[in-house]
Amino acid sequence: MKLSLKPQETYRDDYTFSNSDEAILRFPFPFPEDGYMYSVNMEPHVRGGATPVYDKVFDVDEHYIGDMADRAITLDQDPLRCQVLPHMETAEWDTLELLMESLANDYPEHFSLTKNGDKWHWINRPLEIDQTFTFGRKETLPYDPFEYITRQMQGDFSLQDQRDNNLYMDGGMVTSQADWSLNFDVGMSFHEWHGPVPLAHQAGVFDRALQYLLRLQYGKPVRRLNWTMTANPRLDTSPENYPLWGPEKAAITPENVGHRMCLRVELQTLHRLPRSNAILFSIRGYLIRLEELVKVKKWAVRMHRVIRDLHPQIAEYKGLPRYRQYVVDYFAPFDDGRTLNSGIAAEQDSI
Amino acid sequence: MKLKIEAIATLTPGIRKFTLAPVDGSPLPHAGAGSHVVLEIPGPSRIWKNAYSITSAADAPAYEIMVRRVEKSRGGSAWLHDHAKLGDVLEVYPPQNLFAPQRLAKRHLLLSAGIGITPFLSYVRLAGLAYEFHHCCKPEDEAAFRALLPSGPQMTLHTSRHTLNLEALLKSQPLGTHLSVCGPESFMDMVLATAAHAGWPAAKVHKESFGGATGGEPFVAHMKRSGVTVTVGREESLLDAMEAAGLAPPCLCRGGACGECKLTVLEGVPDHHDHYLSEIEHAANDAVMTCVSRAKTPELVLDF
Amino acid sequence: MNTSRPLYKPFALDPSGLAHLIVTSLDTPPEGIEDSFDNIEVWTVKHAGPGVPVLAAGGIRPFRSTTEQLAQLGHRLGRMTAGLRFYAIGSEAFIWDAYNIAIAAGMHPSEIFLHRAGPFVRRVYCSHCRTMVEDVPANIVTCPSCEASLFVRDHFSRRLAAFMGVKVDAEVPGEVPAAEVFTS
Repeated sequence: MKLSLKPQETYRDDYTFSNSDEAILRFPFPFPEDGYMYSVNMEPHVRGGATPVYDKVFDVDEHYIGDMADRAITLDQDPLRCQVLPHMETAEWDTLELLMESLANDYPEHFSLTKNGDKWHWINRPLEIDQTFTFGRKETLPYDPFEYITRQMQGDFSLQDQRDNNLYMDGGMVTSQADWSLNFDVGMSFHEWHGPVPLAHQAGVFDRALQYLLRLQYGKPVRRLNWTMTANPRLDTSPENYPLWGPEKAAITPENVGHRMCLRVELQTLHRLPRSNAILFSIRGYLIRLEELVKVKKWAVRMHRVIRDLHPQIAEYKGLPRYRQYVVDYFAPFDDGRTLNSGIAAEQDSI
Repeated sequence: MKLKIEAIATLTPGIRKFTLAPVDGSPLPHAGAGSHVVLEIPGPSRIWKNAYSITSAADAPAYEIMVRRVEKSRGGSAWLHDHAKLGDVLEVYPPQNLFAPQRLAKRHLLLSAGIGITPFLSYVRLAGLAYEFHHCCKPEDEAAFRALLPSGPQMTLHTSRHTLNLEALLKSQPLGTHLSVCGPESFMDMVLATAAHAGWPAAKVHKESFGGATGGEPFVAHMKRSGVTVTVGREESLLDAMEAAGLAPPCLCRGGACGECKLTVLEGVPDHHDHYLSEIEHAANDAVMTCVSRAKTPELVLDF
Repeated sequence: MNTSRPLYKPFALDPSGLAHLIVTSLDTPPEGIEDSFDNIEVWTVKHAGPGVPVLAAGGIRPFRSTTEQLAQLGHRLGRMTAGLRFYAIGSEAFIWDAYNIAIAAGMHPSEIFLHRAGPFVRRVYCSHCRTMVEDVPANIVTCPSCEASLFVRDHFSRRLAAFMGVKVDAEVPGEVPAAEVFTS
């Protein structure tokens, strides 16, 4: 199916963001069961599967132009949202190649890459970019290679260096994060940057996930879904700008919860990079307003059960307590007590 | 992927270099410095799987590997030396990297012996890498190795143990140096022991396991869950035997380094040859790395 | 359990090292090291010190400030060879500043030993204006620069040698809970 892109939407101020019916049906709903607990929920990132966002190596959707415009605004205000430590330069080029090749291969109507030795020609039609450059020579690009290409791909990215039998977050492009700071976390080990997450450390989740990722093979990416909730479809929910978005959380009421409150899902994919042996971690975020989500019956019912029964420490970590009851009450009328199939599929073809 | 042997060169009487190119001319997956590939090598009764360091550049159109003829050959190196010919097509698994350069190192001290030179041939291609490289070889092989290596003050070839004063070399290295070593087990053991004596922390010493399993007494392994019993011969690994029996056990490096092939031991005592499990885990004897480890008891029962 | 929080062990020399450099913000070397190993140098701080920090008897070199100490540390480590073990003793902010200088000089974490001394205070990084607030005794502190009331998250950055501070009343201004004094 040909991908059509919406004109620029906003993720701040007037929040014009909305999902088309097609976008709602392809939303990566994160709950395969009626309850939620941390686990090592990683699987090979192969094409196809429970949600259409698995069909491409890096998923581009109708919000592409607005996402990239919002990233540019955030970077203009705070350039440190993108930083890469000096020893990761090879990984920067690896990232550029992986993203350009994947986009050109999966979306030839929007992106193209032509290689003539190390002389490359990149065309990004939606953003009206036509760039020739020399691979490996960063002075031939308007930004460093990692920043250059991640300004053109939806979702956040981090670069992990592998050493000492551990992974270190030694670079990233982070403008649409769930309340974590790249400037604070850059350079941290796997367990350090996950330090604030409750419950999962005790359960050994991070130990096992790390062992799995240390063995990640080139050409065999893996994926998982993660989630949180966000008041208003705001991409930049950073600690830095908490004074901007914090009041928006407090302004959630039973009356506006359906329109303003969003479920925020991250499709996380991890890719071993060939030259550097680093890992590229893509955190591709999807937002859906609750009033959009309830158009899929199965998801509305399941959301009620998951949020109602969520472990208090997880709710606290995800910042839910202030409006959790409003969310439960919003979904409650949809839950008729039926038994739901496991799995995340929408199980309906239209809205 | 299917790669054909595009060129064969005899470097020394015991070492041949192979150039492996895609059958259809399509681009190869990149092989970063320190990568290896696993080749499927046809034997008379079964297929061998051997891992070889890639010595060509990351973006090269073909992979180059060097194969030493192993004295007590498992089969693979003997076939590559005696039977492989131009145009032969081999199944090759995509490159993996278990010996990537330490990117935080200020400087690299590279020490190799004999065929252990191979991973470092890709290291020294890296632009701007600050290194000092010492390679040890037999006098009769000196010319062949010299032709492979860069020249300059950072490069020294040793044809006698006496010209390499390892302790002095290690003690004089600037603080930000990392040591990487590759070669026969005895050479690596000697380097590691000297480095520890010279105050080097283990985390700054990196070795590639080379050569791997050397075989041993045959034993029998029962797979409890799959109900399959295999006999592991003198010259094959437990992993090889499981694959030959039609099983598909997990594996990656096939050299006792990556941890992928770890299986739980239910009965029997494993004979550990891997570099993955800790001493404590070895002593517990409840896990075995099937790619290199064997059995001290006539039989093992595994949870697989 | 928070895995970004550093754990500190009691001070001890690592016998596998060939040389030892101890940097302390205190004015005396740690006890019991004199007879234990050869090749030990200790950098102390004597604020009203005798002047230029020269190496004195017993391998002790007194500096006039920790600032002077740390300013010389990178230069010194740049001239050292393999086998060195590095130790820092002092406040949490000081020892991690020293750690970062050692890392920049190419040392590995396993060659570095940190021992915290003094009161349980923390350096806090203001997420909003990037100011470092020193010697914070409790989990809520006012940023001296942007005046935000910061909650000190239990999240430590070794690179910044600081804990993370985030506006505590961002959602409802003025809603500031009582501060808890640090006990670790």
